[in-house]
Amino acid sequence: MKELTVKILENAPLAAGVYRMRFALPEKAEGLACGKFVNISVGDGAHLLRRPIAICEYTEDTVTICYQIKGEGTRLMSAKKAGDLLSCALPLGNGFSLEGAERVALIGGGVGVFPMYSVLKEYEGKGKKFFSFIGFRNKGAVCLADGFASLSESAEIVTDDGSFGRKANAVEAFFAGAEKAAPERILACGPLPMLRALKTGLAERGMDVPCYVSLEERMGCGIGACLVCVCKKSGKEENVRVCKDGPVFEIGEVDF
Amino acid sequence: MAELKVDFCGVTLKNPVVAASGTFGFGKEFNEIFDIGVLGGVSTKGLTLEPRLGNPTPRIAEGRSVILNAVGLQNPGVDVFLEEDLGFLKSKKIAVIANVAGRTLDDYAGICARLDGKADLIELNISCPNVKCGGMAFGIRPESVKEVTKAAKSALKKTPLMVKLSPNVESIAVNALAAQEGGADALSLINTLTGMVIDIEKRRPLLANNTGGVSGAGIKPIAVRMVWEVCSAVDIPVMGMGGIVTAEDALEFIIAGAAAVQVGTANFTDTLAMPKIVAGMNEWLDAHGIADVNELRGTLRLNG
Ligand SMILES: Cc1cc2nc3c(=O)[nH]c(=O)nc-3n(C[C@H](O)[C@H](O)[C@H](O)COP(=O)(O)OP(=O)(O)OC[C@H]3O[C@@H](n4cnc5c(N)ncnc54)[C@H](O)[C@@H]3O)c2cc1C
Ligand SMILES: Cc1cc2nc3c(=O)[nH]c(=O)nc-3n(C[C@H](O)[C@H](O)[C@H](O)COP(=O)(O)O)c2cc1C
Ligand code: FES
Repeated sequence: MKELTVKILENAPLAAGVYRMRFALPEKAEGLACGKFVNISVGDGAHLLRRPIAICEYTEDTVTICYQIKGEGTRLMSAKKAGDLLSCALPLGNGFSLEGAERVALIGGGVGVFPMYSVLKEYEGKGKKFFSFIGFRNKGAVCLADGFASLSESAEIVTDDGSFGRKANAVEAFFAGAEKAAPERILACGPLPMLRALKTGLAERGMDVPCYVSLEERMGCGIGACLVCVCKKSGKEENVRVCKDGPVFEIGEVDF
Repeated sequence: MAELKVDFCGVTLKNPVVAASGTFGFGKEFNEIFDIGVLGGVSTKGLTLEPRLGNPTPRIAEGRSVILNAVGLQNPGVDVFLEEDLGFLKSKKIAVIANVAGRTLDDYAGICARLDGKADLIELNISCPNVKCGGMAFGIRPESVKEVTKAAKSALKKTPLMVKLSPNVESIAVNALAAQEGGADALSLINTLTGMVIDIEKRRPLLANNTGGVSGAGIKPIAVRMVWEVCSAVDIPVMGMGGIVTAEDALEFIIAGAAAVQVGTANFTDTLAMPKIVAGMNEWLDAHGIADVNELRGTLRLNG
């Protein structure tokens, strides 16, 4: 992990309320990987907390993020132009591991689709088979659909209101397609109710497939020092830090 | 190169810039980003006798130019710190300041006894506004400030004692004097101001704890005023903090009378904030022909 001043190469709308930003790193950053994140300073002196955003794509010296405009911080980010500088720390967190799995199910909902896309990009052409189950609010929010389709063995895009694809959420789509996909690993990211439904659904069906989820929590330092972003280890009187020990956890490891 | 070394109640700080408690853990993570050996010191996350899990989340929120936190003293307990973390901090050849908290006078005495001769300085957190049955009670009234200072001091044979004052009080100067009378070797201030942020959609406080401690750039004028009041009242050295972001911010505190400063929230906005402050301080002193940072201490000239 490094503190860097990066230069924005492009920052443009990707879907309704969602922006895609690509920036150049001043030097090579080691350890860039899918599932890790960057912690970005909004840079106006009024917003002192950095915004954690998943790495969506990367090369040796560029990183692409996709972010939804939620509040003032992401709104200010969306006003940045190519050539502007941003200060940030990266790469942070632990990321996804796909070791030993050839068939992988990706379940993404809302802004949780971006970390799933990062997995597809990282493993592009490496011979693994991906089965993507991707959920958006509505048609206007749908993005990266072509990418999900071309990089996956099969990709189903669903929406909450049925305005694009079936009317379902990503977890429902996954359980409908799980038998066919027969995954050896499940990766998921999305709103907490979605991840909870996944946890109960797996337990109810007795599906014993290693499953990893990427969690969100409000952060202070973003690097593991301040103990702001914790969640509790399941069955233990012990906390883990989402920013440092996560954001990716084995689904049974933590309470959420 | 200006002289940045400060003698702080017998503890040598290689420069006056110290990491503030709770924002820097035990230094290991920030050391992955920069060599923390360039700092004057590190004040640890608040330590207690037993491990604590802290408050539920969300533990942090934002206001304009400030943040609020309610971490609630999550820490592994003093024994784990001594075994696993003190050695690393010591190896960096910086002043190791153990920030400690307790629920009873015995807790404070007990934890000080465990750290005596091991940490370079004890920072007594009598002001943490987050833990319902601890902290706050000791920090508010001057009588109890004196009492808890005495209890801690009686357990310390080797390590000097710094008492960290709460700003959520009637008179911080009166409490500063109470700590001095109780035997404090130094003071630090300010801890966070108590605040609240409300989510208007949910009509609920944003923090799980409802209220939290306000820190960051926006509190600096309050902190500078309090440091000035306290420095005018006591004879013991003061470590000033609250909203420091730049070297110039830090120098305000020193001019107000602080011998050294701590930097907290700024570490969240820029993980290199502190090394930049050290470098900036040196540049400013050079540019102003001041050979030694200690010359600047307490040079405030009041108007009128
Ligand atoms: C590891 C991780 C990866 C993420 N990746 C993405 C991504 O790829 N794309 C994307 O659109 N969003 C992502 N998020 C969520 C994103 O961080 C928030 O939407 C964003 O911080 C909101 O900032 P704001 O100023 O617009 O909103 P505000 O509500 O004004 O923010 C106020 C404060 O709360 C924090 N906050 C608000 N919502 C969240 C949240 N859901 N998670 C963590 N902190 C929050 C903000 O960082 C800020 O400190 C991720 C979150 C985490 C923890
Ligand atoms: C996340 C966080 C955790 C903190 N934890 C502690 C603590 O454990 N003990 C303590 O004495 N002060 C604690 N503080 C207070 C800081 O040490 C400091 O007094 C305060 O933040 C003001 O300085 P700043 O504006 O530079 O942050 C904490 C502050 C923050 C932001
Ligand atoms: S945000 Fe500081 S420990 Fe995770």
